[in-house]
Amino acid sequence: MNFLENLPLATKKFILDLVEWVCGWFCSKLGIQLPGWVMPALLTLVSILIVIVALIAVFMVMFALMSVFERKILARMQNRYGPNRVGFFRWRLCGLFQPVADGIKMLTKEDIVPRGADKIVHFLAPIVMVAPALILPVILPYGRGMVPIELSSGILFFFALGAGTELAVFMAGWSSNNKYSVMGAMRAIAQMISYELPLVMSAVVVALVAGTLSPNGIVEAQGGLSFGFLPNWFVFTPWGFVACLLFYIGALAESNRSPFDLPEGESELVAGHLTEYSGFKYAIFFMAEYVGMFAINGLLVTLFLGGYQAPFAFLDFIPSWCWFFGKLAFLAFTMVWVRATMPRFRIDQMMQFAWKLMLPMSFAALISAATWYYTGRGLLGWALSILIVGVPYLILGYFCFTRRHTADNRRYLFSE
Amino acid sequence: MHDLIQRLTSLPWDQAPQWLFLIPALFMLLGAAGAVMLRNLIHCALCLTLSFIALGVLFIALGAEFVGFVQLLVYVGAVTMLILFAILLTPAGEVAASNNPFRSFQLSRALSAVGGAMIALLVLGTLLASIFFSPHARAAVTPVTAATAPAAAIGENLLNHTLLPLQGTAVLLTAALIGAALLAKEEKQS
Amino acid sequence: MMNFPGSGILKGMVVTARNMIGSYFDRAHAKRLITEQYPEERPTLPEASRSFPFLVFDGQDPEAGMRCVACKICEKECPPQCIFIEQDRDANGKLLRRPKIFDIDISVCMGCQICVESCPFESIRMDNIYEMSSCDRFGSLVIHKGQLLKSNEYYRSINPTEAAETDARIEAARIKKAAAAKVAAEKVAAARAAAAAKAAAEQAAQPPSEPEQPAP
Repeated sequence: MNFLENLPLATKKFILDLVEWVCGWFCSKLGIQLPGWVMPALLTLVSILIVIVALIAVFMVMFALMSVFERKILARMQNRYGPNRVGFFRWRLCGLFQPVADGIKMLTKEDIVPRGADKIVHFLAPIVMVAPALILPVILPYGRGMVPIELSSGILFFFALGAGTELAVFMAGWSSNNKYSVMGAMRAIAQMISYELPLVMSAVVVALVAGTLSPNGIVEAQGGLSFGFLPNWFVFTPWGFVACLLFYIGALAESNRSPFDLPEGESELVAGHLTEYSGFKYAIFFMAEYVGMFAINGLLVTLFLGGYQAPFAFLDFIPSWCWFFGKLAFLAFTMVWVRATMPRFRIDQMMQFAWKLMLPMSFAALISAATWYYTGRGLLGWALSILIVGVPYLILGYFCFTRRHTADNRRYLFSE
Repeated sequence: MHDLIQRLTSLPWDQAPQWLFLIPALFMLLGAAGAVMLRNLIHCALCLTLSFIALGVLFIALGAEFVGFVQLLVYVGAVTMLILFAILLTPAGEVAASNNPFRSFQLSRALSAVGGAMIALLVLGTLLASIFFSPHARAAVTPVTAATAPAAAIGENLLNHTLLPLQGTAVLLTAALIGAALLAKEEKQS
Repeated sequence: MMNFPGSGILKGMVVTARNMIGSYFDRAHAKRLITEQYPEERPTLPEASRSFPFLVFDGQDPEAGMRCVACKICEKECPPQCIFIEQDRDANGKLLRRPKIFDIDISVCMGCQICVESCPFESIRMDNIYEMSSCDRFGSLVIHKGQLLKSNEYYRSINPTEAAETDARIEAARIKKAAAAKVAAEKVAAARAAAAAKAAAEQAAQPPSEPEQPAP
């Protein structure tokens, strides 16, 4: 179905042609002659604007739909209905207009800034949070030939911008002039930094095998079938499976989602670093978290799940961008599923999990990937790589996490 | 983005590359000035972060993408966090008046101002001399393309030509990490 | 199945997934989806649930069958003093045994049922309606006599046990009153008969006062 596949690019080309035609018509009507550099510059500007508007529109709509679908799916998993009333002009529409109601509520709430808060930093924190989050999805390949910006070190760009999130969390927590906010911000930053390491190491594992840091190159390295029936997606290899799981858990932790939502859980330290934010600023933090979640899921799809490629050639009639967003939707669904299943981690459990299990496993995955690659991707490579990831996992899992620990020596300071 | 830079540089303004340099440079100077002159230490740290970000943008604008992104990742992500944690976890900004070796407050202030100015002049002089007398200042300006500094070339250089310093740095960092963990560990009650 | 590290999480996810799929297909199961969709489905309240008072009337006409006699006991006994009663007067100004104004302020009423317990005439009872909200802050939350009067059939429908008890009590009282009236009537008749007999006896016991007639 070539028409559907080319639909986004064809739309963009149509708009550019329209702009060119309208400008040419105006100039011929008014009789002025533009210098030779104006039209290309204008077309470049319009092309950039189309890409920006399309990205922001798509991600805002996905954010809105995600917020209502998350509530409905969580509800169904907990044996209750989700929001099912907000509709449009008397049609209930199964509550799908709930984001509109939520948006209106957030916009019309009073914006309270505490008196002792540092006004400039308090104002800038949501901006520093949302600006990198909105730039993150710009390097992902959404379809064949549909990368908004083609960067040769795109993966590195992604993680560099993720660092902005940590800065924003600190600014939010410290500027609220509230010791619980500061504590919440410290815990949030500790969590983010600890989980960033396995995240980056998993991406490095993929970069090792694919030989490039460019997202397009990584997607193309996952084309074709191996052994005749298995798609070459990295998730279907032993080291890739482990790295995908590590990346997924790191993605849950980076976007502060359950079970890692200690920084912003409702029963922990009020709302942690977000306590003193109300109204639109809170909505912006919320939006930045969700858009960041989509971006990092998109990166997971690119790195491990084959990007925009269909698993088998006969499924190619579904357009490539449909495959990308379908995989992204599936990952978002699993994130909601995990949220419905697991209780929240305690801060020390979180730290132990990151440093004692995930980091050694990511190194094991690196060694396993190198073994698999340099023994020529054959059966020997598969066997060795399964051993190299499996044994540390069982050892670490058994000895660190499934045995009953004796309580450590606690010092009670003020009890008699 | 390089496409955009090329289009922009073919504009009739031949100040375009300098203009692309001036804006991050201005932010860097503002950030540095803020870092030394503001009263609140956290504000100083945040202005320093602005300087780091502007430096990263400068690297990217010059075509050194890898270095630019690593600058953002390492400096803004890690070093800034380190500075902020250090400010928060230490009782900052309290200078004990009794530590002053000179009896009069104005004399110590004047002496520290003179000392600071001398150090600043020394550093500035060294920097300017090394920039103006270096071979890069005389070389022709080459057009910027994506192929001049890809990550692969840097990786190859690191692992083939400068392997020993790389491994030495790795050992040093590991030792520092272990040392920090040991220092931070509580002593067991015997 | 082997218990490898991480198997607990997978088992939990299977349970959650089963819940989700079951909630679409298996609605009849007792533990699924017990949410009541409120404005379309009202909850079934237990029999003795109560919210605000109402006045009971017998028969068809509210004003004529009203049981309340404006004795003002409930007004005095109400702890937050939310009842206001004014007794009715007829054309000549004589007090009637019915209220002209009977107002309850439901923003004050706490539903304690003391008015019900203290009413000697079984005329005020507790209703169970809960949709009494209004957009006006004070005026519409004062309920007047016309809104308060509801028939005995309504009371029987919301609270059959207590209604049956009340009806039985009223019936018993009526029977007792009728029996007492009958006894009183008999007593009066007996007294009147006794008085008549006494009068007749007195009349018979009086000596004849008329003169003797000559014999031939």
